Amino acid sequence: MKKTSVVSAAVALAFCAGGAYAQNTNVPDNLEKLSNFQSTGTTEFTFVEQGGAYAEGIKKTLAGIKLPAGFKIDLYAVVPDARHMAVGPQGIVVFVGTRKNQVWAVTDRNKDRVADEVKNFAPSLRFSIPNGPCFSKDGFLYIAEQNRVLLFPAAEFFYESPDVAAFNLVAQGQLIPASEESFNHTARVCKIGPDGKIYISLGQPFNVAPPEKLELNRKWGVGGMIRLNTDGTGREVYTYGIRNSVGHDFHPVTGELWFTDNQVDGMGDDIPPGELNHQTKAGQHFGHPWYGGGKIRTAEYAKETPPADVVMPAVETVPHAADLGMSFYTGRMFPEKYRNAIFSAQHGSWNRTEPVGARVMVTTIDKDGKATMEPFAEGWIDANGEYLGRPVDVAQLRDGSILVSDDLAGALYRISYGQ
Amino acid sequence: MKSSILIALGGVLLAGSAFSQELVSGDRMAGRKLAGICRTCHGLEGKARIPIAPMIGGEPASYIAAQLTAFRSGEREHEMMSVVAKSLTDTQIADLAAWYSGHKVTVTLKADPTKAPELCVACHGVDGLHQIPEAPNLAGENTVYIETQIKAFRAGKRHNDIMTPIAEELDDAGLQQAADWYAAIEIAIELVPPSP
Repeated sequence: MKKTSVVSAAVALAFCAGGAYAQNTNVPDNLEKLSNFQSTGTTEFTFVEQGGAYAEGIKKTLAGIKLPAGFKIDLYAVVPDARHMAVGPQGIVVFVGTRKNQVWAVTDRNKDRVADEVKNFAPSLRFSIPNGPCFSKDGFLYIAEQNRVLLFPAAEFFYESPDVAAFNLVAQGQLIPASEESFNHTARVCKIGPDGKIYISLGQPFNVAPPEKLELNRKWGVGGMIRLNTDGTGREVYTYGIRNSVGHDFHPVTGELWFTDNQVDGMGDDIPPGELNHQTKAGQHFGHPWYGGGKIRTAEYAKETPPADVVMPAVETVPHAADLGMSFYTGRMFPEKYRNAIFSAQHGSWNRTEPVGARVMVTTIDKDGKATMEPFAEGWIDANGEYLGRPVDVAQLRDGSILVSDDLAGALYRISYGQ
Repeated sequence: MKSSILIALGGVLLAGSAFSQELVSGDRMAGRKLAGICRTCHGLEGKARIPIAPMIGGEPASYIAAQLTAFRSGEREHEMMSVVAKSLTDTQIADLAAWYSGHKVTVTLKADPTKAPELCVACHGVDGLHQIPEAPNLAGENTVYIETQIKAFRAGKRHNDIMTPIAEELDDAGLQQAADWYAAIEIAIELVPPSP
């Protein structure tokens, strides 16, 4: 009932007040207006051309992607700088974050499983590294940025208009201390946990976190994961000892948190391993900066004693492959062996002598909890060692197919099984 | 309007290559081979492949060399670049600077040139191309990249005798305006192969 009244009030205001306010350049941020259901005067969307020569180039790459028998991959949408995805619970729209200043809204209107329209979301707002969109089951969209988290009620409805209802969940400057803001290691990811709280990863900006930052990091959850209630209260640090996690999800049966974590650079091509981690209770520590990945100790902390209860990874992944976004599979389309498996993206190494990664992985977890990861879709590195694409995130559509985002090609792919 | 900018750009390009010969005598062929460690983020021609990386194709060689040297010494810090630059020799830095500075940059400015940010144009140009060899091109860099750099100067994380006082003068609205201006300029970088 409450949600309905918010929606109708906002619709009335958005449509009646449209154009009443001239855009005022002295107002640095339109958030206040949108929070009061006022019009910002913004009327223009940016639309991304679908199809054409650019799309054909991507399709050519996709023809070379290897998948298990029975699966196929198709271009779903051209989406510049596509990062993490949030699929609307009504199946109307997919929101896609970027590491720049846009969030894209991707719509498949005719349900032919190819997007018809890609346009920017909330064009009157100035986003800063809005990498991480996530949805609650009741249709609230959250977007985790560099140093803010916004909340958009009924986003799947409002996004059709340039002005949307928008509110602070975590106001600008409150997510981390402004002095710790960075561009790298600032691709935040959010997901709503089975407890209804929002879980947000906060990468720490260094290769190896320096000693003088550890106390501040621990307090704020930088180099960790925080959780809070969806009314903004009850913030606490849920996970410690992360270097730079850019993907997490909750096991559909146990409700436990699993997350990827990118490990230390500059130690060599073949160490340290990347990580897929499994957290079983609040406050666990996953080893950074004492460990550089798996059991490999960092040179900087080689003489220090690590915390006693460090949790080692569930899977040690290929060094420097950059495991990023991940999603548990709960659909019916794929064969039974994939039920409750993790689909995850390896972005690909950035300075390894021979590039590795740039593929989609699948991790199955047996009844004893043992996790095994193997390649699922690969072929984005050509014979010259050049990237043709770099997968970032995986999300499931309501029909049980999965979407893969790629921020190099600027695209979403759809992987389906059978017909 | 557009043609006059392109003519101006021709001048900049000539000036750029003149500087690179004067200040750094790198080997472009050697630089191209070394650029294998750069290209995942910067491309082989210096057009950024990821948002956190700047466009370095067609930058002044002296600017590229100065930044690599600063990353190597720790004077400038970045999680990735500090790792990469740590092992580079002076010769390798000169070669990389020669390789990346030698590509051809073309920019298209669609906005009204009189609206360009006053504090920036003397060094970075109306169209985001360097006017002095110590300054980088800003054309086509994304807003977050430009804002991050200005904030780094403002906070003392980067230092430059010209940029530091300018950044200190800019409030958030001012730096956003500068970032928006340069980010909106379209840039094309054409790979120029090493001469045989």
